[in-house]
Amino acid sequence: MKELLQRLEYRFDVSDIVQKRENQTFLTIDKKHTISLITHLRDIENFSHFVLLTAVDWIEDNLFQLTYILHNPEVNIDIAIRTMISRDNPEMDSAHHLWEQVATYQRELKEMFGINFPGSPGVNDSFILEGWDDIPPYRRDFDTKKYTEETYFPRPGRQTNDPAEYMKNKLYPNG
Amino acid sequence: MAKNKIINWKPDRSKFPDIGQDGKPVVDLASQKYVKIWHGPNHPGVTGNMSLELTVNGDEIVDAKTHVGYLHRGFEKLMERRKYIQCFPIVCRMCVAETDFPEYIYAAAVEDLANIEVPEMAQWLRTLVLEMSRLQTLLRVVPGQGGTIGLGLGVQWGVYLRDLILDLFEELTGGRIYHMYIIPGGVRGLLPDGFKNRMEEILKKVDDYVIRLTSLMYDNAVYKKRTIGIGVIPTDWVDKYGIVGPNARAAGFKRDIRKDNPYLIYGQLDYEPFTTTESDIFARAVVRLEDLKTTVDLIRQIIAKMPLNGDIKAKTPNVLHWKIPKGETYVKSESSRGEFGFYLVSDGSEYPRRINLRGPSYTHAITVLEKLLINANISDVSALMVSLQTCPPEIER
Amino acid sequence: MSLKDILSPFSAWKNLALEPVTVKDPLNERPGAPRYRGFHKNELNECIGCGTCSDICQNAAIDMVPVEGIETKAGDSGLRPMIDYGRCCWCALCVDICSTNSLSLSNEYTWVNSDPEVFRFIPGADKKSWDANELGWKKPDNYNLNEPLRVKMEETAPDEREMSFLEVVKGYSKEQAEAEADRCIECGLCTATCPAHMDIPQYIKTIRDNNLEEGLRIMYQTNPLPEICGRVCTRRCETVCALGHKGDAISIRWLKRYIADNVSFDEYEKILNEGFIEKTDKKVSIIGAGPSGLSLGYYLTQRGIKATIYEAKEKAGGMTMYGIPKYRLPMEILDKEVEFLQKIGVEIKFNTAVGKNISFNDLYNNSDAVFIGVGFESPYKIGIEGENLKGSLQAIEFLREINKGNKIDIGKKAVIVGGGNVAIDAARIAKRIGAETTILYRRRVEDMPADWEEIEGAEDEKVNIITQAIPVEIIPDEKGKVKAVKYLKAKMVADDKGGRPRPVPIEGSETIIETETVIGAIGQGADYSFLPKEFEEKLELMRGRIVTDSNMKTSLDKVFAGGDAVNRTADAISAIADGHKAAIGIEKMLLSE
Repeated sequence: MKELLQRLEYRFDVSDIVQKRENQTFLTIDKKHTISLITHLRDIENFSHFVLLTAVDWIEDNLFQLTYILHNPEVNIDIAIRTMISRDNPEMDSAHHLWEQVATYQRELKEMFGINFPGSPGVNDSFILEGWDDIPPYRRDFDTKKYTEETYFPRPGRQTNDPAEYMKNKLYPNG
Repeated sequence: MAKNKIINWKPDRSKFPDIGQDGKPVVDLASQKYVKIWHGPNHPGVTGNMSLELTVNGDEIVDAKTHVGYLHRGFEKLMERRKYIQCFPIVCRMCVAETDFPEYIYAAAVEDLANIEVPEMAQWLRTLVLEMSRLQTLLRVVPGQGGTIGLGLGVQWGVYLRDLILDLFEELTGGRIYHMYIIPGGVRGLLPDGFKNRMEEILKKVDDYVIRLTSLMYDNAVYKKRTIGIGVIPTDWVDKYGIVGPNARAAGFKRDIRKDNPYLIYGQLDYEPFTTTESDIFARAVVRLEDLKTTVDLIRQIIAKMPLNGDIKAKTPNVLHWKIPKGETYVKSESSRGEFGFYLVSDGSEYPRRINLRGPSYTHAITVLEKLLINANISDVSALMVSLQTCPPEIER
Repeated sequence: MSLKDILSPFSAWKNLALEPVTVKDPLNERPGAPRYRGFHKNELNECIGCGTCSDICQNAAIDMVPVEGIETKAGDSGLRPMIDYGRCCWCALCVDICSTNSLSLSNEYTWVNSDPEVFRFIPGADKKSWDANELGWKKPDNYNLNEPLRVKMEETAPDEREMSFLEVVKGYSKEQAEAEADRCIECGLCTATCPAHMDIPQYIKTIRDNNLEEGLRIMYQTNPLPEICGRVCTRRCETVCALGHKGDAISIRWLKRYIADNVSFDEYEKILNEGFIEKTDKKVSIIGAGPSGLSLGYYLTQRGIKATIYEAKEKAGGMTMYGIPKYRLPMEILDKEVEFLQKIGVEIKFNTAVGKNISFNDLYNNSDAVFIGVGFESPYKIGIEGENLKGSLQAIEFLREINKGNKIDIGKKAVIVGGGNVAIDAARIAKRIGAETTILYRRRVEDMPADWEEIEGAEDEKVNIITQAIPVEIIPDEKGKVKAVKYLKAKMVADDKGGRPRPVPIEGSETIIETETVIGAIGQGADYSFLPKEFEEKLELMRGRIVTDSNMKTSLDKVFAGGDAVNRTADAISAIADGHKAAIGIEKMLLSE
C-alpha cells in the first residue's frame, strides 16, 4: 500500500491521503486528472473491480464530492478517489467506458444530484424517479420534511408536549 | 456436471432491431416483428419490486431494460436527517432478505469512524447472526432457483426450515425479519439458554434437507436441461461488469470478502470458498448450495468456539447527541449475494453527512441482467434473474 | 445427464409419509419469544415523563401527553408516552433509553381491530390484555445507550485536609466535564425544580459544544452568582435528575462550576453586557449584600435601574461569605463575583448597618423601592442548661470568626449539636483546627438535612457522628467552663400523621460525652429590629418569615423582600431566584407607570 501511494504521488497530483485501515485509502485528485488516475489504477495497478461511485453534497462550500471506490482483488485493498466539482452547473467526465456498470451509477447521480456526465449512455433517462419535477432530491437543499408535509397528510389529532415547557406552564407560568 | 455448451455470443443480427444514432435499438412495433412485454413488477417470477421491459421477437428476447423505482424510500436521504442512533432501526430495512448485513456494516462504519473497539463476545454474536442470516436467505434462494422453472416443492421445504431459523432469530433478537440486533458499539443481547442445542437440532434438519434437495433439484434431468449452458457469464465479464459473490465464484473467481479481507472473527474460522468454472445457471445454483453447506459448517464452528459470556457492548457516548468525528469510510461484508458495503461520510455533527449503500444487485440486476437476457428465451427470464439473486431494495434504497 | 437424474427426483414421494409441520393453532400455540418486541407496556408510577423515548424515536411515533390522575410535580412532568402504532417500527430503542426502566415491550403481537384509532394509546393508562405479561423486550444487562455513572470528582485526600483550608473539591478537567455533560439527556425536568429555573440542559450543552461563553450567558440569565452556586448550591435539580433513577444524577453543580471557572473573569463584561438597557432615573435600596441582594442588584442594573446595597459587614456575600467554610467556597471566588457586580454599576456600601449607620426611613423616602434581604443571622439556642457557659458557642458565630481569619480556641475536643449543613461545616472546621470532633444529632444520618456529600466528607475526615442523641445538659467544670455534654439516646417513632419519624428519648439512657467546646447549630432566625415601629407593625410575618406575593412584594408599600428571611428552603439558589423575581416585580412597578 505504501509503495502504491508513493507511485501514485510520483505520477499524479494527489492530496489529502487518509489511510484509516491497512487495506483502505482515501485520496483527493483534481477533476481534470480523475479519469486518468482511475484508468491508471485499473490498467496498471490492477484495481480491476469497480466498487461504487457516489456523490456527497458539501453545500456550504458549493461543492459536490464525487467518490470512486476501486478494489484490487489480488492484494485486496480498496482505494477511494475523491474529486471536488462545483455545484454550479455540475459536470464530470464520464467513466462508462471503463466499466459497464458505471453508466448506471452516473445515471443515478444525474437524477439524484443533478450531476451531468456527458456521453454516458442513457444518462438522461429517469432511473428511480419517474415524473419528478422538483430539484434533484439528494441535494442538501432539498428539504425532505417539507416535501412530505406538502405531499402527504399527517394523522389528525396528534399533539406532543415538551416536558420542560409543559412543566413551566403547569408549575411556574410567570417565572 | 455436464460439459459447458458454448454459446454463440454474436447472434444473427437479422432478428434484432436496428441500432439508431443514439446507440439505442429502434424498435418499430408497427412492423409486428416485435412485441414488448413487461415482466413484473407484479409477476411471480420476479424477485421483489422491479420489472423488466422485454422486447421479443417470437419467444426470443432482443432487448431488455430493467426498471426500478417501485420501492424507493429514499433511505440514504432520510438518514441524513436522523441522528446516528436513529439510523440504526432504518438500515435493516435496506435489505429485507438479509437484514443483518446492513445492520453490521452500518455499525462497523460508525465504529470505524468513532474508533470504537467492539467486545469480543459481541463480535462472535455478530458473526453468528450474519451466518444465520445467510442461512435463512439461502434456504429460500437455493430452492427458489428451482422454483423459477416450476419446481416448487423444494421451496416449501426450504421455507419451513427458514421459519425455524427465524424462530431462533426471534429468541435471540426479539424480531423475526427486522432483528435490529447489531447496534453501533455491540449487540443487544446474549444467547438465550439452550439456544445452541436448538440450533444444532435445526442444523441437522438442514443437513437432511440438503440431501433431499440434491436428489430433488440437482440430480434432476429437467432442471439440468433447463439450466446447463444457459445464462453463461464469460470470465472477462466479471471485472468489467462488477460481478461479485456467488456469481463470480461460479465463473471461477475465488472472491469472498470473509476470506480476502477478514472481518469480525472470520479469521478464526476454517473454510474454503467453493468455486466452479461453468458459470451458467446450474453452476451458480451449485455454488449457492455449497455456500449453504459452508454456512451450516461455519455456524457449527462458531457455536463450538464462541465464549459463553462477556461484554456485549462497548461504551459509547450518549446516543442522544453522539457526534461522530469528521471522516469517511467504506465498510463491506460478504452477503449471500456478494459484496455489500456502506460508504459513510461524517462531517463531525450528530447527523451523518452521507450514507451510500453498495449492493451487488446494483450491477447484477441492471447491467448484467440486461445483457444476459439478450437472445434468451422468455421462459428462462425468471431463472436467469433468480440465478443472479437480484434484490431491488439495494438498487434504489 | 444420466438415468439417476431421471429417477432421483421421484424420491420426493417418500415425504408423503412424513408428519405435517404446520402449527395448527398459531394464535394459542405460538406465543412470542421471551424477548419478542410486541406492544408497549409502561409502569405509569415509575415513569417520570422525561420524554427520551419520544426523542429517540426515529419515526416520531411517540407523543408526550398528560394523563388523568398524574400530577405534574418536582421530577415528574406529568406527561406519559402515547404510541402511534401506525408509525412504530418496534425497534425498542425507547425501551433501551428509558431513564427509569418503566417502559418495556410485551411479547404480545396479535391484535386485530377494524378501527385504526385504537392503535394509538397510552401504555399503562389505557388498559390492555398484555399489561401483565412478564415476557417481552427489556433493556438487556450490561448494555447502555448512555453512561449511567457520573464522572468522579477529584478531591483533596482526607489526610491532606486536616489543618488546611484548601478547597476539597478540585473541579472537573475539560475531558471530565465533557464526559459528564455528555450524559445529559436534555429532558429539562431539573429546570422546574431549580428555584431560579435555570436552563440547565442548555448550559450543559454548551460544555459539549465547547462554547462556555454562551454557557455563562445562559447562566446569568437566571443566576448572576454561578460561581457560588457552582460550589455550594443545594442542587435540588440533582435530586430530580432523570438519570438518578437508573444510575447517578448528572453533576449539575460541578458542571456549572466548570463553566464559571473556565471563562476568564476579564471576559465577563464583554460576554454579559449585551442586553443591558439604558439607564433610567429609578433608584432602589437593598438591605443586605447576600445572594438575594446581589442578584437583585444585577438584574436591576440590567434593567437600567440604579441599585444601592447597604451591607452591615465589611464584605458582601452574606451567609455565603461568612457562613460557608473556605474549603467549600474560597473567598476569592466571592470577591470576584462581587467585583464584577460593582464593575457593571451595582453600588455596595459596606459597614453600613441600616438602623444604626443609616435609618430605614431615609432609605425608604429616598428610593423608589426598598428590598429587605437580611437573611437569618440570629442563631436559635439549643435551650438546655449550661448554654451560657464559657466554651459554648453558636456555629454561625464560630464560622463567621473563622472566615474572618480570627483564631478561636476550642481546645482538644468539640461537640457540635445539629445535622444541617451549618453543623457539618462547623464540625469539619473544628476538625481542621485540631479538635477531636463529635456531632450529636437527634435523628438518623439519612434524616440529616445536610448534603450527603458533606456528610461523607465529614466521615472521611473522621468526624465522629452520634445519631439519635438528644442533648439535655451541658455540664460545667469547677471553673465554670464546659466539661461535658449529657445526652439521651432516642428511638425513632413513626409519625401517625404521616410525617417523618420522630425521635423519642429513651428513659435512663443518659450518656455523658466529655468535651471542651459545645457548638450549637440547630438553626437561625431573623432580626427585624432595624425597622422603625410603624413599619415593623405593618410587616406581615409568618413563623418569623416575611410574607410576600409572587413578585416578592411585602405587605408594606414599595417594600420587597427575599432570601432566607422569606423562603423556608433557606439556600443560596432560592435567594438568587428571589432577587430575580423581585427585579421583575420592581421593574413592573416602576417602569410600567
